[in-house]
This record gives sequence, C-alpha cells and structure tokens, in this order.
Amino acid sequence: MDKPVTVYEPFRAGLPPMREYAAALWSRRTFISEFSRSQLREQNYGSVFGQLWLVLNPLLLSGVYFLLIYVIGGSSDATRFGHLTATLFLFYLISNSLTGGVKAITSGQRLILNTSFPRIMLPISATVIALFKFLPTVVVFMLIHVLIGLPFSWQMLWAFPILLIALVMALGMAVLISCINVYFRDISSILPYLTRSLLYLSPILYEAENISESIKKFEIANPLFYLLDSWSRVVVHAEAPVTSGLIHASIWAFSLFLIGCYIFLSRERDFAVRL
Amino acid sequence: MISLSDFNHTHEQHGVAVSVRDLSLTYTTSIEKKPTLKARFKSLGRGKKHTRVISALSDVNLDIHYGAVLGIIGSNGAGKSTLMRVISGIVPPSQGRVEVYGSVSTLLALGVGFNPSMTGRDNVYLGGLAAGMSREEIDRDFDAIAEFSELGEAIDAPMRTYSSGMYARLAFSVAAVVEPDILIIDEALSTGDAKFKEKSLNRIKELRTADRALILVSHALATIEDICNEVIWLNKGKLMMRGNPAEVITAYREFVNARKSASSDEDV
Repeated sequence: MDKPVTVYEPFRAGLPPMREYAAALWSRRTFISEFSRSQLREQNYGSVFGQLWLVLNPLLLSGVYFLLIYVIGGSSDATRFGHLTATLFLFYLISNSLTGGVKAITSGQRLILNTSFPRIMLPISATVIALFKFLPTVVVFMLIHVLIGLPFSWQMLWAFPILLIALVMALGMAVLISCINVYFRDISSILPYLTRSLLYLSPILYEAENISESIKKFEIANPLFYLLDSWSRVVVHAEAPVTSGLIHASIWAFSLFLIGCYIFLSRERDFAVRL
Repeated sequence: MISLSDFNHTHEQHGVAVSVRDLSLTYTTSIEKKPTLKARFKSLGRGKKHTRVISALSDVNLDIHYGAVLGIIGSNGAGKSTLMRVISGIVPPSQGRVEVYGSVSTLLALGVGFNPSMTGRDNVYLGGLAAGMSREEIDRDFDAIAEFSELGEAIDAPMRTYSSGMYARLAFSVAAVVEPDILIIDEALSTGDAKFKEKSLNRIKELRTADRALILVSHALATIEDICNEVIWLNKGKLMMRGNPAEVITAYREFVNARKSASSDEDV
C-alpha cells in the first residue's frame, strides 16, 4: 500500500530530525498566524477600541515620561525624551515576548496533549503577538520624532537590522523561558522582577554614554544594553550604530536563540507528560 | 496477556495501518502538581525525591489493518488514551516501535485549539488548522461543517455564548469532515444531546471504509459493540485481550464484576 510511513521510536536526548521538524513548522505557518490573531482577540485587541488601545497605550506611556522629564524634571532636552520613548517601546517588544512566552507551553496544555505539532510554534506565536503590539508604537514614535524635531538621516535604515536582532533575541528568550516554566512553574511569578530589573539596568531611563566606564563594563552581561544603545543612536540621533555594540547585541541574540531552541527542542517531546 | 498470534480475525484483512511492536511507555513526572523552583531550593540537601516514574504501557503488540474499526476498552488509567497519544505521535515511546502507514487525524478531545472569544466561524478555521487542515481545505469544507453542526446563524456568534451542546456540535463537525487514512477518536461521542450523538455515531459509521482504519476509545461498551469489528482490552498498561467485540466486552465485564465483588468482600 502506497502510504507515507511515520515511525515513532524512543528518544534518548538531543534534537529531533531538523529537516522534518522545519518542514512541519513551515506547514503550520497559517496556524501560527491564526493562533496569534485569536490570542490578540482574546486580549480584546480584535475590537476597534482594543486596536485603538494598541496606539493609546504607548501614547499614554510616553505622556507619563513627558510629564516626568519636561514638566516635573524641568528639562527641555528633546533628545532625552526621544531616547526614552524609542528605547522603552523596543524594550516592551522584548518584555511582551517574555511575558507571553513564559506560559506559552503551560497554557497550551490542551493543544499539546491532543495534537501532534511542533511545540515551538507556541512561543513563536507569543513573539508574533509582541511584534503586533510593537508595530503601532513605531507609528507613535515617528510622530513624536517629527513633533520634537529630532534629526533624520539614511543611517536610520540601520533600524531594520537592529529590529531583526531584537526579534531574534525576543524569540530566543520566549522559547527558553517557556521551556523552563514547564519544569518550574513559579518562573512566571519571578518574571516581573526580572523584566523590571532589565528595565532599570538598560539604557532607557538614561543614555549609555552617561554611565561610568566602571559600571559599563558589567553591562556586557546585560543582553539588552548595547541593543537599546544601538537603537537609540539610530532612531533618535540618526547616527550609525557602534560596531562593537552591534556585535555584542548580535552575539547575545543568536546565543539566546540557539541555546533556547536547543533546550526546547531536546525537551519538547517530554512536555506532554509534564503538563 | 495474550499475544497477537492467539487471535483469529474474522473480518477481511487489508494492509497494515498501524504496527505497534513491544511498546512500553514509562515517564517521569513531578510528584508535586506544579513543580516550582522554590520547592526545589527548599528541599536542597534533604535528599527528597521530586519525581516519580509511571509505567503507562507495558509490552504492547498490536497490528491495526485498513478496514478495521478497532475499539479500545479498559478502566480509567488503563493506558487507552496514552496508547492513542503514542500512535498519533504526541508522546514518544520509551521502548518498542510504532509504525503508522498513512495520515492520522486525532479526535482526542473536542474543540482543541478553539478560542471562546472568537466566533464559531473563526473557530472552524482555528480548529481545522490545529487539526492539520490547510486554509483551502477549510474553505472548501466550511459549508459542510456549518451544515453538520446545525448551528445556523449562531455560527457567527462568539463561542463563549454557546451552550456546551452547541460547542460540542461544532467541535465534532470540524473533526468529522477530515477524511484521514487513520482516524483516532477518544470519547468524542460522550457529549452533545441524544440527537446529535446519534448523528455523530452515523458519521463515524460512514467513515468505516476499506481504505481507512478507525480507532475508537470509549467507556460506552454498547457503542463499541455497535460500531467496531474488533476490540482490545487494556488493563494497567497491558494488552489483556483482543478479538471480536462481543467476546472481549463479555470478558471485560466479567473482570470488572469480579473486581467489584472482591472489593465488596474486603469491605465486609
């Protein structure tokens, strides 16, 4: 009988056959998109007001910082406000990916227990949702950029590769943390402290050049530090990023992605009995 | 435990759809319902065990042929659903080998992938995509799904407004249009009203063709006897018996009754 044959045998450790896995993941791309859309709908982003909130939320956030910097702080430095909003919006792309990713597997229990599909699809979906939420903030930032008179140049095109690095990092983090949460369910409770620490340790409320060299040398351990610094240089100052900063961010992003994927893929066949 | 060679199959045998050889499944699971990092830290140095090993299936051998409608019976915890999950590739075996010849569709739970905040229409797409259908296939089959579900205009209402019966009807309808080589159904008939139960039963009967293998897990022994042409009985992960439905169901009933009287004797 001419039927495709699938063989299931015990696995000890290590990765599944990658070619087949990638093909299965690619064939499920429509489901990833539809699943992400349904999750957004569940969070009320399907309605007009929900979609409006995607724009209002970053506007309100930048409004709060406008109040802090211009009104309470008495500053008239447009660059500082631009830096704060730009880096904060990119930071939210990563933190939303992390917060969505942490429960991607544990909340997908019914799917995992009853359907055979590449499990990595679930944290990918969390990053896709974070990207959907990030895109309106780009529009808001562009408006702010024009309104406060920040410079424009061709160097701003560096924003695309930097955004790609940010996405790889966000995905790597989501994949890794979703897997860890299967084994330690309280990771999701610890996560807000982790993201808050990252917020304060990264150049968002301050610019990278304003901190001392003695402190800056420790920032090599912060995956976001040079990523956000490069982002700020490009989209706020309209300058080219520093090569070493770009390399640092890339190494962190791809390391997190590769390590996250390796741990996830070598463990995912265990998820159905752990949930 | 009875080996495969002990059976005389009365129905016509076709090519093998599923071959299960020396299948065992043991898995390590957390003792706590929700394992936490905090609990792990607190127990550091105390030598406390965090995991336990569960043997879900033990040395199961089984061939399922095309044209067969195989019923799987057994008490709770017998390993029925686990066996289905191994055959459908959801859980890998610990020992042995499973070969599946053809496409598999599983109906292990109703409404997998559904999102209650979306309309029935959206969920047809979501559930269909989760089941492995393509968007084009769902487009093609949408009218049939909607008609089978008998939801009428409610198909465009959010699913959170549905009754449990309406939910089950739509979920079964999505699964019922898939026409795979091997269809695995686990307790799917236990929901919905009597009329819809009959309709779903008839649909399953329609799916009984010579070029398809159906595997049906259920506690409803009358349904199993009605639909299946072959039954296996699992107990504590072991294959106890395989044969024609009436024989296996009778043996299973006797076993359950004997166990009941043994436990009531102990109570006395």
